[in-house]
Amino acid sequence: MILGHPVRLAVAVAAFLMLALIPAGFDVGLKFDAALSVVWAFGILSIVLLTGYVGQVSLCQATFAGVGAYAAGMMFNTFHAGYVVGIVVGVVAAFALGVLVGLPALRLRGITLAIVTLAIALVFDKYVFQDHIFDWFSGGSGGWRVDGANLLGLPADSSSHLLAGYEVLLALFVLVALLMVNLHQSGAGRRFRAIRDSELAASTMGVNLTRYKLLAFGLSAGIAGLGGSFYPLIAGSVSPQPFWVFTSLQLSAIAVLMGVRYVPAAALGGFFMAFVPDILTRYGHGTFMGHSYDISYDWFSLALGALLIVQLILLPDGVWGDLHGHVAKAMAAVRVHTQRRVRVA
Amino acid sequence: MSELAAYTVIGLGLGAIFALAALGIVLIYRATGVLNFAHGAMGMFSTFVAWQVFYGWVHPSWMPTWALTAVAVLVGLAFAVVLGLVLELAVFQWVRTRPPVTKAVITIGVLLALQSAASLIWKNNQYHLPIYLAPQTWTREVAGVPIGANTIVIVVVAIGLAFGLAAFLQFTRLGRAMRAVSDDPVSASLWAVPVGKVGAVSWMLGSLIAAVAGILITPFINFDTTSLTLIIIDALAAALIGGLVSLPLTVLGGFLLGLLETYPTIWIQSLGFPRLVALLVIIAVLIVRAPRGMPVATR
Amino acid sequence: MTMLRVRDIYVRFGGVVALDRVSIDLNRGEILGLIGPNGAGKTTLFNCISGVVQPDAGRIFFDGRSLRRVPPHERARRGIARTFQNLQLWKSMTLLENLAVPMDALGRRSTIADALGNPLSRFAERATMERARAILHVLDLDAHANSLAGDLPAGIQRRVEIARALAMRPKLILLDEPAAGLDAGETKRLADLLNAVRERFHVSMLLVDHDMSLVMRVCDYMYVLDFGKILAQGRPAEIRSDRKVIAAYLGEPNPELPAAPDGAVQPVITSADRKDGTPALPTGAPLLGVKGLAAGYGALEVIRDVNLVVRPAEIVACIGANGAGKTTTLRAISGIVKPRAGRVFFGGRDITGRTPERIAGMGLAHIPEGRGLFPRMSVEDTLLLASDNTGQRVDPSVAYEVFPRLKQRRWQAVGTLSGGEQQMVALARALLARPRLVMVDEMSQGLAPTIVRQLFEMLSVLRSKGIAVLLVEQFVESALEVADRAYIFEHGTAGHEAPAAELRADRKLISGSYLGSAVDEPAAIPSEANGNGHRVDVELMEVLSLKVPPSVKRAIEERATREGRSAGAIALELLEGVKH
Repeated sequence: MILGHPVRLAVAVAAFLMLALIPAGFDVGLKFDAALSVVWAFGILSIVLLTGYVGQVSLCQATFAGVGAYAAGMMFNTFHAGYVVGIVVGVVAAFALGVLVGLPALRLRGITLAIVTLAIALVFDKYVFQDHIFDWFSGGSGGWRVDGANLLGLPADSSSHLLAGYEVLLALFVLVALLMVNLHQSGAGRRFRAIRDSELAASTMGVNLTRYKLLAFGLSAGIAGLGGSFYPLIAGSVSPQPFWVFTSLQLSAIAVLMGVRYVPAAALGGFFMAFVPDILTRYGHGTFMGHSYDISYDWFSLALGALLIVQLILLPDGVWGDLHGHVAKAMAAVRVHTQRRVRVA
Repeated sequence: MSELAAYTVIGLGLGAIFALAALGIVLIYRATGVLNFAHGAMGMFSTFVAWQVFYGWVHPSWMPTWALTAVAVLVGLAFAVVLGLVLELAVFQWVRTRPPVTKAVITIGVLLALQSAASLIWKNNQYHLPIYLAPQTWTREVAGVPIGANTIVIVVVAIGLAFGLAAFLQFTRLGRAMRAVSDDPVSASLWAVPVGKVGAVSWMLGSLIAAVAGILITPFINFDTTSLTLIIIDALAAALIGGLVSLPLTVLGGFLLGLLETYPTIWIQSLGFPRLVALLVIIAVLIVRAPRGMPVATR
Repeated sequence: MTMLRVRDIYVRFGGVVALDRVSIDLNRGEILGLIGPNGAGKTTLFNCISGVVQPDAGRIFFDGRSLRRVPPHERARRGIARTFQNLQLWKSMTLLENLAVPMDALGRRSTIADALGNPLSRFAERATMERARAILHVLDLDAHANSLAGDLPAGIQRRVEIARALAMRPKLILLDEPAAGLDAGETKRLADLLNAVRERFHVSMLLVDHDMSLVMRVCDYMYVLDFGKILAQGRPAEIRSDRKVIAAYLGEPNPELPAAPDGAVQPVITSADRKDGTPALPTGAPLLGVKGLAAGYGALEVIRDVNLVVRPAEIVACIGANGAGKTTTLRAISGIVKPRAGRVFFGGRDITGRTPERIAGMGLAHIPEGRGLFPRMSVEDTLLLASDNTGQRVDPSVAYEVFPRLKQRRWQAVGTLSGGEQQMVALARALLARPRLVMVDEMSQGLAPTIVRQLFEMLSVLRSKGIAVLLVEQFVESALEVADRAYIFEHGTAGHEAPAAELRADRKLISGSYLGSAVDEPAAIPSEANGNGHRVDVELMEVLSLKVPPSVKRAIEERATREGRSAGAIALELLEGVKH
């Protein structure tokens, strides 16, 4: 089921308008969750591109987001550049790191690539984001603070104009998601998918593996970095914790859980990752039938791990994938049915 | 020079832990085809069970410390065996025919679940008192650097366990079956080797070794839920040196990595630098071991 | 004119020399056959030509240019396309998409413009799809244009592989076992297809296949590869009668025993053994019964409707060309491959679908191709393992009495033994595990003749101990010397059953099943005026012309009417001019 161009665009615009307006009624905490959910949606989208389209494994996608965030923070604080410059530098830095990480991927696949990327995530988490040699990049132990930033004149400060940052980020997400869907059906998308299905056949059928694998890693890291570079804007500061190695693992887990081959799964996953733990921490405690309970953030991660295990045993194509499959099957059945009736008539 | 000797002892202690953890990974990988990213988390959880027995619960006052330590360690190890068996029975026996990457992603789910369960029970990022197997007060100066009894214990236990494991694999019937399965699971099944049983035993044994490594290392690291979980990277690096196949090379790789991560601390005071060393070792190993020609030519 | 020149290619994997200074030449417009036993290095040669494996020495020239350091995708763009023995279609993509990828590779397409979906990109996209449809039409695949490649049966997937290679607009196609898994009818249709493709798309082909009926039917010239070396070359008819080739395929005929047609041969080994009264064709309840067995891998159905019977203390041989389904039959019996249809009975019990370890535990020992040993275990441990899980413990010294050589090597790792010694270990297991049936797959592969003889003697010893043997063997001569009966496999089924003595007499029947006897000579290639021995195909030119700008198309048509020739011929001339 492929939506035609105008339909796809209309769906995207409608989705944007709806999602942009809803958080207006939220309190500050939930507004932040809304913005954060788009940051993570970018992270999962980057996995959809890299793993879902091209079949490459990576366990360091939060690292790319972190590089985007820190680069943006650095540009804003050290060079007093406008925040848009920070975003551009963040994306470029993430893209460059992605290409660098892609180099081992030219020789490795599957689990060995998973090991390398996990090691990279750990190096950034424990060393680059935290060691004093990199204070120029990470802003020292306090990280960077971002106050009074604007996007090309539009005030987008985290304390007073949180929603502005959210809406710009959401618009960018809708745009990138749309481009990703287009890419899937296009020539470049076919080459990506060809690499996923059989590298051997792709290389002997004229696909330049070096170029397209590095491109995929770069684009994927750039997408993650774009989301990450908004993090300081909406949170007001950067610290290593949001981009540590477990976030990378969670992003991968949620991407697989939601359906790693589908763009809408990214939106679903971002929402899941930002809102669910916060809502759990907020409302997940009290007393029930005389017993006090406390469902905090850790319950989210525990449930995520358990869900991932169950899903991989039972629904290999992910929540969105299997849902989508059922819908598509039902639609096809309806179509056949109506066609038959038309023919009879 | 003498300083170097002291650091060598420390490095060997660290390396022994890596070697132990890596042995478990290789064992499970060869026997079941699962590359276990949750290996550190499994060791961590069992270690915390031992910790709970030792520090968390009220125990009879007549019990001497050594007996309490023994009970705590035994409970932790017993838990590890059960954990391994449960994972095989509840999860991994159902995905035996799936591609290796899928199985690896499932272990990431196990990692997240164990990790967050441990944070729930024992609180994340919180300092915990380590479990000392030997009296903490006993130290000997080696060229101006104090070497504690616990350092000596882990080197001895790790080397002893490595030899013990080797003997088990070499001389027992089950060990033979495990070696056969790890060499070639399909052929092993043609020799009437019960592959399923070997898988379960590998999980139990691997989990047990991970727990031993976890309990031994507590005095030497920041003992919380995450740092034990993240030992997985060093263990994987050691396992890669052994090509995910060879047990002797894996042990050697563990010691080598321990030394490589320890020596730079003579000059560089950084908590994160050893991670960089591990990454560089992983990349170096994969480049050296990479097959010739285009990567696509390999199976 | 020589299109592809391979010169002194030398490839080594570890200690094994896969290709030892191999040189071949392929002329424009030719279908060149490349045959040889398993492990002869055919696929490695393909990998060298398509750039997937770098040779250690030697050079390859294509159209007069060296391919040294040219990456695979660049070779593809220069006109070398290939298909894969193990079906490497992009399974989650439609057929149209499968064809579009190589087509895109020929042009320049921008990733950014694609993602933006700009009008130019969309226009190019439509043109690509049109051409993809045209190629699918020529190969009679239009019905599946929008199906996912992975959902189609293997026979169709093989054709799609060829279609995809054609989409590359190649000058040369490397075909790696296109007939694998096809039945007789499909193979015949494939041969027709290849001939048609050559005619219509003006490509040369290098064809590797085990199915001699295909190779003999389509090839102009052949090379025979054995142990990484060129064993023979010539026209198909010459190859078929070449003594060296027959020996490589069937094994050396016993020099002491002339290949007598009268069947009066008394094999030395068996005569001694038959004294214990084992009848040549024992009657009684079968030990192993296979009924209507079908099995395969993924979309590939390798065997279908296999029926066979093995009685106690009987040696039964399965013979037939590579890819005929012998190995898969054994694998389906021992449970490595799950049978898709049919039943397997062993010792009176239905063992269909049981796990390999349970079947092995019941006394069925399967020694697979490559011997199925554990390279890092010592000889002693391996022998201990043999009786570990089969009930009673047997001391390994029993095996050392039969194979004294193994006693000297008992602490050595099995992987370091010679091939013959390894096979001894594999057979020693049969003595220790006390099975009721031993299945041996390609016992003699890669071994010296004297050792092969010893091993075959062992089989008779097993029979004398009451153990039945089911044997898959490429060296038919040796197999038939010890066997009581044989099944001849062809196209995935056990087609013919006969007493071994009868087959020993009738060598023609066997060599037919290996080298393709009942095949008509290839028809001479019709040659016409355009210089490369091919007719011009108008339909093809339609396909090509979609790429040509309208102004050029009009110019060609004008010239065609002026000169009174077909537009296709002129277009082809122009294309050839561009290529050189």
